[in-house]
Amino acid sequence: MSGDVGAAGASGAASAPGAAAVGGAGTPGGRSPSPIVSVQGASYAYDVDRPVLKGLSFDVAPGEFVGVVGPNGSGKSTLLDLIDGVLTPVAGAVLVNGRPTREYRRREIARLVALVPQHFALEFDLTVRDVVEMGAYCRGAECVPASAASAALGKLGIAELAERRFPELSGGEKQMVVLAQALVQSAGVLLLDEPASSLDVSHQLALFELLKQLNADGLTVICVLHDLNLALTYFDKLLVLSEGAAAAWGPAEEALSPEVLEAVYGVRAHVHHHAGRTYLTFSPRRSSQPRDRGRVHLVCGGGTGSSLMRELTDRGYEVSAGVLNALDSDEVTGRELGLRMAVEAPFSPIGDDAHAENLRLMADADLVVLSDVPLGHGNARNLDAVQTALRAGTPVWVAETLGQNDPGGLAAALTGASLRRYGDEGEVLQSLAEWQERAGGGARE
Amino acid sequence: MNVVAKRGWHGVALAVGLSLVCLVVSLSFGAASLSPGQLWHDLLAGPGAHSATGIIFWQIRMPRVVLAFLVGAALAVAGVILQDLFLNPLTDPYVTGVSSGAALGATIAIVLGLAGGLWLTGLALVGGLATLLLVWTAARRRGRVDIYVLLLAGVSASYLLSAIITVLMIRANDDLGAILYWLLGSFSGRTWTDVETALFAVPFMIVPLFFTKEMNILLQGEKRALELGVDVERTKAVLVVTAAVLTAIAVSVAGIIAFVGLIIPHLVRLMVGPNHRRVLPFSLLMGAALMGVADLISRTLLAPTEIPVGVVTTFIGAPVFVYLLRRGRRT
Repeated sequence: MSGDVGAAGASGAASAPGAAAVGGAGTPGGRSPSPIVSVQGASYAYDVDRPVLKGLSFDVAPGEFVGVVGPNGSGKSTLLDLIDGVLTPVAGAVLVNGRPTREYRRREIARLVALVPQHFALEFDLTVRDVVEMGAYCRGAECVPASAASAALGKLGIAELAERRFPELSGGEKQMVVLAQALVQSAGVLLLDEPASSLDVSHQLALFELLKQLNADGLTVICVLHDLNLALTYFDKLLVLSEGAAAAWGPAEEALSPEVLEAVYGVRAHVHHHAGRTYLTFSPRRSSQPRDRGRVHLVCGGGTGSSLMRELTDRGYEVSAGVLNALDSDEVTGRELGLRMAVEAPFSPIGDDAHAENLRLMADADLVVLSDVPLGHGNARNLDAVQTALRAGTPVWVAETLGQNDPGGLAAALTGASLRRYGDEGEVLQSLAEWQERAGGGARE
Repeated sequence: MNVVAKRGWHGVALAVGLSLVCLVVSLSFGAASLSPGQLWHDLLAGPGAHSATGIIFWQIRMPRVVLAFLVGAALAVAGVILQDLFLNPLTDPYVTGVSSGAALGATIAIVLGLAGGLWLTGLALVGGLATLLLVWTAARRRGRVDIYVLLLAGVSASYLLSAIITVLMIRANDDLGAILYWLLGSFSGRTWTDVETALFAVPFMIVPLFFTKEMNILLQGEKRALELGVDVERTKAVLVVTAAVLTAIAVSVAGIIAFVGLIIPHLVRLMVGPNHRRVLPFSLLMGAALMGVADLISRTLLAPTEIPVGVVTTFIGAPVFVYLLRRGRRT
């Protein structure tokens, strides 16, 4: 049952002392169970000029459930090959059970480490049972019960495939059969290279639940995957690889912080918490464009500004908004996007502080956009603020549909030379782009 | 795909039965046909018998048939091994260049007037094994043998050696016929001495039987085999050398007999499936049987004139091969 303890310890203990500092490449090391896999300053290069892994170090304790993520070409598959001993590091060492992989014979290491490769080719029509039984090769003369293959297939819920011919299976079925083959090795460490890549969503979840269960039975799992949300959902610890080095190593939510993701993937990540789950959404960061193409201030609310917030942020504008009530859906979006906002307490009319902040934000803006927000006495001061901006000569674009349900005629009262009406969001984005082009990159005319 | 494709003991019984029938038939027919009863009588009488049929049976028919069976088995086993290693069902034992090396050795022997007996065989064997060494060295880098470099080096060596043979043939007016006849492959006039040479192939036919698990796993490619714990480099070394020695021995006693090493593994996989535990022994049997029949045809079809056995196997093999190609490359 030491596996159970290890697994529980991994999720709990790793976050508590903060030993596994996010952003650091160091090992969390020094904890009681001696590591089953220890990567010590390992480097690897297929081609001398282009190292794939550069001095990578981390330890995996028995029973841990570890995910490895990173952009394409960051060295994830190479890392698995190093742990499996198929490749030997050109510098540093990889230890399995405390012994360098290069000292093992192939058959010995296959009894300790099993790998499920991402791609698997077999053109010859062997039966599924034949294929799964190959996993027992490393056990050699040791008595492997003939039922081992059936047991593995049964565990994966694909017992009915046993007599089928392997090449006739679907991609997803093949992947499960190869997993069964790896399980027959009965190794203590299971490495998986994107096992979910050819599975539909229900089989993906079933697979990860199954891996969790195997892990609870004591199996140490190291799994490369691309889907960061799956990584967040299922893994205790994550290693984030970037250009062959560890960008982060530690508890899943810390390892996948927006800062790390922006540095590694070059995208802006937004963390959401919903129904007890944490999940991420992403916006592209266009590195060819300067981050601040100009400042746009949104006056919105009730969800009328959310998509414009995201679009503008994605396009590289610095967006601010206000005044919004806390927990208003636009306010939530703005918070997730990390915008500067003037915020008032929930369900309260705009107070002096929030109004003053709003005016400051507007004064900094190159453009103010007033969305199709329902108007009422609660947000009437936002129109005052807009009028102030108009008086200051700041361009203000107002939704044409604003004020259609405006009994007080508040919107109609807006006047100014720099006022312009727009039809929809597409028009705003289009006009902004044209404006930018004319201004030669600067937003201010 | 029908009854045979069930791949159970049907295929096994079929292969064993077929090769036994082929053996009896090959021994019976020829310039002088022997009845099964006569055959049985001569067999019991032993090689010392002085009856006319006894001499035909023991001194002419028997060594020739035994040699054909040995060579057929050797080529088929070599074919199975190389198709497995190259993961390519279109590979035959001659891609390693070993056969061309053996052919060059034999050609040199003929040109030098050493065509009688052991000189030719010996030079052919030396030529074949020297080519193996050359190709192996070319494909070896940092302790690993790149199987594709091996293939390409083998094919290149083949062309080069064939070019040298052509030059020798142009120079050797008188021996042209002998060289050509030898190159096409034949069992004509072979004696017990040749059988003794061919018997050296027997241990090499047995070696791969100890590597059937590894050969099955290698069907998934070298990397997967490593992951599953196979010592891939050692396995490759043993298997490549085995296949090359088998080829060299076969070619040195019988010349270059086409298609047997290519077709037999295919046919056997159709009968018993791709598992090498069965493919190997049955290829051995079927290779022997087919070669026996081909030799029978070669010496009886246009009797008393003999057709080189390589021509017969080509007549059988080419259409079968096209059929297999059209069936798809999956087996």
